[in-house]
Amino acid sequence: MHKDQTLGEYLHAHGVSRRGFLKFCSATASLMALPPSAIAQVAEALAAARRPSVIWLSFQECTGCTESLTRSHAPTVESLIFDAISLDYHHTLQAAAGEGAEAARMAAMEENEGSYLLVVDGSIPLANPGYSTIAGISNLDMLKETAANAAAVIAVGTCAAFGGLPHANPNPTGAVSVSDIITDKPIINVSGCPPIPVVITGVLAHFLTFGTIPELDELGRPAAFFGQNIHDRCYRRPFYERGKFAHTFDDEGARKGWCLYELGCKGPTTYNACATLKWNEGTSYPIGSGHGCLGCSEPDFWDHGSFYTPIAAGLWGSREALIGAAAAGAAIGVGSALAARARKKKTQANEEATSS
Amino acid sequence: MNADNTAFRIFRESLERLGRDLPADDLSDDERVRRAKNTFLDKLDSHMAVDLETCIHCGMCAEACHYYEATEDEKYSPVYKFEPLRRFYRRELSPMRWLFRPFTKDVTADDLETWQELVYEGCTGCGRCDMMCPMGINISTLINVMREGIASAGLVPAELRALQIEQREKNTVFGVGAVELKELVEKIRQQGTEIRLDREQAEVLLLTTAAEVLLFPDALAASAKILNRVGADWTLLSKGFEAANVGLVSGDESTQKAATTRIAEQAKACGAATVILPESGHAYQAMRWEGANEVGEKLPFEVLAISEFIAREVSSGGLKLKTGANGSAVTYHDPCRLGRHGGVISEPRALLKELGLDFREADSNGRENYCCGGGCGEYVIKRSAPLRQKAFEIKKREFDETGADAVITSCANCRINLMIGAQNAGWQKPVESLVETVAARLAD
Amino acid sequence: MTLLDFARGPALQWSLIILVFGVMWRIIGALLIMAKKDLSKPRRKTMLRDGLKTIATRSLPEHQFEKRIRFQHLSGYAWHIALFISVLFFAPHIMFFESVLGFGWPHLPNPVILGTAAVSLAILLALLIRRASHPVQRLISNVDDYISILVVIVPLITGILAFAHVGARYETLLAIHLLSVEALFVWFPFGKLMHTALTFPSRFDAGASFGRKGVKA
Repeated sequence: MHKDQTLGEYLHAHGVSRRGFLKFCSATASLMALPPSAIAQVAEALAAARRPSVIWLSFQECTGCTESLTRSHAPTVESLIFDAISLDYHHTLQAAAGEGAEAARMAAMEENEGSYLLVVDGSIPLANPGYSTIAGISNLDMLKETAANAAAVIAVGTCAAFGGLPHANPNPTGAVSVSDIITDKPIINVSGCPPIPVVITGVLAHFLTFGTIPELDELGRPAAFFGQNIHDRCYRRPFYERGKFAHTFDDEGARKGWCLYELGCKGPTTYNACATLKWNEGTSYPIGSGHGCLGCSEPDFWDHGSFYTPIAAGLWGSREALIGAAAAGAAIGVGSALAARARKKKTQANEEATSS
Repeated sequence: MNADNTAFRIFRESLERLGRDLPADDLSDDERVRRAKNTFLDKLDSHMAVDLETCIHCGMCAEACHYYEATEDEKYSPVYKFEPLRRFYRRELSPMRWLFRPFTKDVTADDLETWQELVYEGCTGCGRCDMMCPMGINISTLINVMREGIASAGLVPAELRALQIEQREKNTVFGVGAVELKELVEKIRQQGTEIRLDREQAEVLLLTTAAEVLLFPDALAASAKILNRVGADWTLLSKGFEAANVGLVSGDESTQKAATTRIAEQAKACGAATVILPESGHAYQAMRWEGANEVGEKLPFEVLAISEFIAREVSSGGLKLKTGANGSAVTYHDPCRLGRHGGVISEPRALLKELGLDFREADSNGRENYCCGGGCGEYVIKRSAPLRQKAFEIKKREFDETGADAVITSCANCRINLMIGAQNAGWQKPVESLVETVAARLAD
Repeated sequence: MTLLDFARGPALQWSLIILVFGVMWRIIGALLIMAKKDLSKPRRKTMLRDGLKTIATRSLPEHQFEKRIRFQHLSGYAWHIALFISVLFFAPHIMFFESVLGFGWPHLPNPVILGTAAVSLAILLALLIRRASHPVQRLISNVDDYISILVVIVPLITGILAFAHVGARYETLLAIHLLSVEALFVWFPFGKLMHTALTFPSRFDAGASFGRKGVKA
């Protein structure tokens, strides 16, 4: 596609009917919680939008975010958007390799200076830059170099947004998030391990339509998707309210689909759109399959105790420490009693001495 | 004996003069506090410590106290009556004293002077609060320690101090000594009852008390009559007859110990195996429960209240009583230190029932009994008269509700205090002695 | 570390350590002070049984006493029992105990627990008002009494708010609730909440000391 081609022209050239395009626009509008009256605005904006250049950098990641995005069996909203952007650099999806690939990246940065989108997945190791390099360039250097002239940065996945799995205790690579390094560009954190595909594309659609980043929560995540917790939208909530919990993964409660709080579900403290948008094109989500939410869109979700320990449980228990405390208390108690006794005896002796 | 009796009138008049013209001591404030603290330190033990740690300030103890009930004045809350002691404990002996000290006011001479009224006039040590407390705190014990501290600080109220000095220095109470005893013994002998006085050896040592000598000689005569009837090998000793213990009542430990020791020595001297206490609550407590601890060793003789002794003789068949009601209904007032603190609750009732009297229990009886209001030496304190009278209204109401024609009790001091209350209130029913009641109905 | 992590981790750790340490210190320090042996001859030698009996019977005062303390007596036991039901039989609490003790037990339905917690809170607030207004309690109450009632009321309020998901985000509500309970743990050894443990030796003493004289205490 020519760089000068608008998105509307490109889609038309690829056989997407006007009707299909409008369906996509209304789906996008509802995703972003816009009123029906905004659909026309979305359509007009997208039709006239220039295909933005997108550079996708993959650092300490498992490629799950890319897999989530690209796992589609039929033309979907996701793929439409993907086709709409000009993905000029992506390790998994690009055909080029080695110096050719790096040359393409540098060319895209130069030609679209100030207007390209930088998408990052994976965390950046700071303990030793050599832990993760691409073409001999450390993640840290590549990120700084590429972000310098980007319009905005989208940190896709919990690793890029918050550090993710590499950041978990004891964080041997010194992994950090994108926002720990880049402080002078707008950053949108699209967390999740992986994020819901349509959330990523919803963010891109917003950018394409309005040219701005969407409203973000205090963790930098799009509020439209991360503004509510799983618990409040969970279909098993009535069982939580009634105190009906599954105690094991195959007991009566589990088979009847009761609340998974006791099996460690982190729904109440996790903010994501899984309970409404669901996964696999709206098929289900972990709780629907009988497994508690891991809290994967939250920072440090690996470090809040076991996935199977309920939120109500304490994260500390040491019989030795408590026995030690009891022994120490008893010792001080004995000491104070002995001191009291000694004082009594002394007073009695004094009184006897003075009275006799 | 009824309230119009001349002897009673003379006694009440002598109470008016009690404690006047006592010389003031020259103790400095600091010295008072030092002595009180020493007493507290000596007396506080682990049981009291646990009690002091456990109080939850619920205030239910006030609802058990006859003085609070009679006045609705919160200063009579039992837990408040030992407040300076609580503070002392928290500062000096409690396990976390180092943490509490900065936040706990020290005991001052002002405290001791203020609390004198609360522990001597506002409390008879009756122990009703002990029974009420949901934490099981022995409140009366703590108030008693407070009293002992105030006593050692030289702040015993004048009337009690006068009595205490008299017993300590002259070995008499209310002016009753060996001479007065012997006079009475003669009188009783002339009335036809044999009194054994000053025998060298005896199995049973009978004690009496100044109140009996002055006001209730019939009670002494009755005791003698019963002892003679059962053929006991008994004696009175003019050197050791006084059961009253002004040391216990005033909080002066040395006087308490001296009075108890005197009796113990006399009992040992005549080889008595049993010591019988006359009708007096605090005298029973002094010898039966505190005697061994004062003397410092287990007592070599058994200690019985006269009512206990009589009940034992009746149940073993050694004493036969005339049964058959005489038509009058009676109720029984449990002396606090004989009943609740003493454990002699069923014996008097057994006797009254054995006599076939129409016996009516008051609403509050036995361990829940209301104090007569004059115990623990309180009735000699002039300033407490209005308070005692208000407390008497509670007893009067309960007695009236039983429909009894007479009140029977087994403590001379309860008897005196109830008679004073009755006289002031114009209440006509007689207050009588259990021993006299039994002695008047011995089977032929 | 989030506030919730802190509440479930270090705050729990140190508050429990302080609780256990302080309770042992205070109980043993009081029990061992010294007591002279009572040399008087007991009327009966059933002190152990008398003491244990009084631990139970002191909760059932005689009619003559009970009629004068009825409100406090009934409301006192009511809020305690309601609180214990709320604490011990609410499912998330049992999950908490299981994490500390290693075992759990069956729970009651959530609406029941909300009811008992509300009852407990209402009675506590009424008793707090009574304490501040009744002449006897005003005279004998001190800072300890008010702090102690507060450290019980606050967990009830924060617990109900967390249960109802009202007032803030759930993780904040839960953290505040846990912290309020940990505040109770920390205060426990130093204030009158210790009566929880001390009632037993205290009532036992009353039973034994009166029992040896032949009086039911």
